[in-house]
Amino acid sequence: MPQPSPATKDVKQKDHNVKLATILSLVFAGLGQIYNKRLLKGIIFIIIEAAFLITMLNFIIHGVWGFITLGEVKGEDHSIILLIEGLVSLIVIAFAVTLYVYNIIDAKRDARLLAQGERVPSVRKQIKDAYDAGFPYMMVGPGLIMLVFIVVLPLAFMISLAFTDYNLYNSPPRNLLSWVGFQNFVDLVSISIWKKSFLNVLSWTIVWTVVATTLQIALGLFLALLVNDERVKFKRTIRTFLILPWAVPAFVTILIFSAMFNDTFGAINKDILSQFGLMIPWLTDPTWSKVALIMIQTWLGFPFVFALFTGVLQSIPRDMYEAADVDGGTRLQKFRFITFPHIMFATAPLLIMQYAQNFNNFNIIYLFNEGGPAVRGQNAGGTDILISWVYKLTFDTNNYNMAAAITIIMGLVVSAFAFYQFRKTAAYKEEGEM
Amino acid sequence: MKKFLMLLLAMVLSVGVLAACSGDNSSDGDETAEGGSGDSGESTEGESDKPDTLKIWVNDDDKQVEAITKITDKYTEETGINIEMNRISMTDQVEKLDLDGPTGNGPDLFFQPHDRLGNLVVRGLAEPVDLGDAKDGFTDTAISAMTYDGDIWGAPAVIETYGLFYNKSMIDKAPETMDELMTIAEEQTSGGNYGFLAELNNFYFAYPFFAGPGGYVFGKEDGTYDVNDIGLDNEGAVEGAGNIQTFFTEGYIPKEVNPDIMNGLFNDGKAAVVMTGPWSRPGYEEALGDDLGAAPLPKANGERMQSFVGVKAWMLSSFSENKEWATDLMKFMTNEENAMTYYEMAGEIPPRTALLEDSAIVEDPITAAFAEQTNYGEPMPSVPAMQQVWEPAGNALQFLAQGDDPKAVMEETVQIIKDQIAASGQ
Repeated sequence: MPQPSPATKDVKQKDHNVKLATILSLVFAGLGQIYNKRLLKGIIFIIIEAAFLITMLNFIIHGVWGFITLGEVKGEDHSIILLIEGLVSLIVIAFAVTLYVYNIIDAKRDARLLAQGERVPSVRKQIKDAYDAGFPYMMVGPGLIMLVFIVVLPLAFMISLAFTDYNLYNSPPRNLLSWVGFQNFVDLVSISIWKKSFLNVLSWTIVWTVVATTLQIALGLFLALLVNDERVKFKRTIRTFLILPWAVPAFVTILIFSAMFNDTFGAINKDILSQFGLMIPWLTDPTWSKVALIMIQTWLGFPFVFALFTGVLQSIPRDMYEAADVDGGTRLQKFRFITFPHIMFATAPLLIMQYAQNFNNFNIIYLFNEGGPAVRGQNAGGTDILISWVYKLTFDTNNYNMAAAITIIMGLVVSAFAFYQFRKTAAYKEEGEM
Repeated sequence: MKKFLMLLLAMVLSVGVLAACSGDNSSDGDETAEGGSGDSGESTEGESDKPDTLKIWVNDDDKQVEAITKITDKYTEETGINIEMNRISMTDQVEKLDLDGPTGNGPDLFFQPHDRLGNLVVRGLAEPVDLGDAKDGFTDTAISAMTYDGDIWGAPAVIETYGLFYNKSMIDKAPETMDELMTIAEEQTSGGNYGFLAELNNFYFAYPFFAGPGGYVFGKEDGTYDVNDIGLDNEGAVEGAGNIQTFFTEGYIPKEVNPDIMNGLFNDGKAAVVMTGPWSRPGYEEALGDDLGAAPLPKANGERMQSFVGVKAWMLSSFSENKEWATDLMKFMTNEENAMTYYEMAGEIPPRTALLEDSAIVEDPITAAFAEQTNYGEPMPSVPAMQQVWEPAGNALQFLAQGDDPKAVMEETVQIIKDQIAASGQ
């Protein structure tokens, strides 16, 4: 940094032209800053833009070309790789544009300050200011960039696939993909085999989410209240036992249940229900299969809710109940007006997430019966939920484009849950200005 | 606002660096694609330049890996080419090749059952190979299984099909005809004991019952399949469906039979005959010892029932840069001597005419039974459309087990298969 510090000049810069600074920065990042006598900042900007143009221009042009055409020569252009490179280019362009806009705003602001007669601070002070303001971002920055490539890029790739014709007969490297717009979504609700399966799977997914989750919450709540009653002895032992279903890995539990529910050989039919002359087709009838799944999920899910509520119940002030006793409140009234609101206020976001989790609970569906049993006239099983159906479409029949389209629909549903939860949670409220 | 923009500035700086790296990678990729510069340029001077190493993907099975290690060590001795082996389960290899191939991390040879062939060809992941004179050593069934669109797509290493295992302490000899089998099922099934068990809810094992009376999956003309001609709802197939249904509705075979249940019952001496492949042999021998017998499938209408035959083969990746040497290696691994080594170590039957008559195989009654059955079976269709058949056909078997009308079920199934083939974009 050889230039003499301009801060020594004690001249009012009334004639400093704001427009000129802005236009200079518009032409090439950093020029406006140079004009503002912010040499260091200007040089950094110039270096960044020059480096960007030299290293990235070819990549970006190639990437954008690939993203738009998805390749032109069969066998030579690999559409999938072009698509990913295209997405990377778009991300890089987004960063570059942001920086470019920032440089223009910065030049304009500094020029305005100069025109108002502010003095240009010394280089040392400039560096110190930048460091002070930027330090937290330097710490967070690398992680955020990783996040863009680890989370955003795959997500964008998946979303892109939903708008292509990527399936078994049209897959790279032998064939090129092409953009088909919303055709896959249209097919989903118009072609008979998709339509029937999609509507059935979607309705069962919703029923499954609501019923299974509500049941596990209700059971957890009921047991938590019961064990929390002061007349119950050995509270700790009982709680330990009730947590057990949560302690055993769900994977193992589900597989064991799957064996127990077997129509002919399973313990439930063979040893228990046969005493009453019953043989229920747990695995071969769609309705009974659904009932079994909901029961298993209730079993797996209630301990978490139970533990959660037990904790919250400890924190309800006792004097409220004493006041209720004085006023002659019944048990039911106490529950309705004191306990329930307290519990819900503290745990609503977590309960909402329970719904979202079950909406995409692939493990239980797949491990219990692989989405079976089969249903006449559709290509999804009787207990398939959206996510297990997507899995089948991807790995059994290579309908990548359809799988991606359905995944987008699932994503929208889950984001609605998540959005609601974040709105409710204080942790995500912005503090200060932004 | 200012803070926000500062943050972005930090981001762009690092992205520039990252993207520059990825830019370099992509240009490398272009060079190899054009055969332009550096290492890849040398290959244009003479394709048969010896590579230092060849990469192969071996199925994730200890015995198989051991056998292949022994064989490839010999190859390294003879040619000086190192063989780099990766253990990747057969079922995962195709998906992995799809991802690793284009990036240059894929293998030269991979190991797949022939029914994935159409899928590999359609995606452009495999290359046809020229086996030259080596072709003559393989059985006709194996070569026809490996043929697709008129080309041969690999060197057959293993041929497998299913037959009958029986418990000698429960029946004197294996059933010779369908009627005998039915009689065994009728007489021996009672109170938790079963006469005959088979995974008839799985189309792979149920196929002989459809094929016997005249059903078929895809019509075949001059060695190519016509996927529009599906023979699973013709008269023969419906009759076969009725026979399968009988097994279930009469209670001879439980509806939800699966390998665990079947093997458990057979090992406990509670099932007289089971239909499965040689892969079940080690477990059965441990449980039954000398009581274990094996036989080909029974005859129906005077003809042996046709089982599905699978051929597992070494296939050439289309991303391989040493195709000539890779082909040489696959021929070496499947030649007579090494196929025998592989059989002795891994226990899988080699599809070589001379070896199938070799004393080592003929004198082993169990292997001999399956080797014999391979002559009656037919290769699974290798067209990609076959992928759309398994699940609907499997579902049809479930409906049959529940007692639905065979004709209606089979007609509906064929319609679904047709719809799925259409929906899969062919």
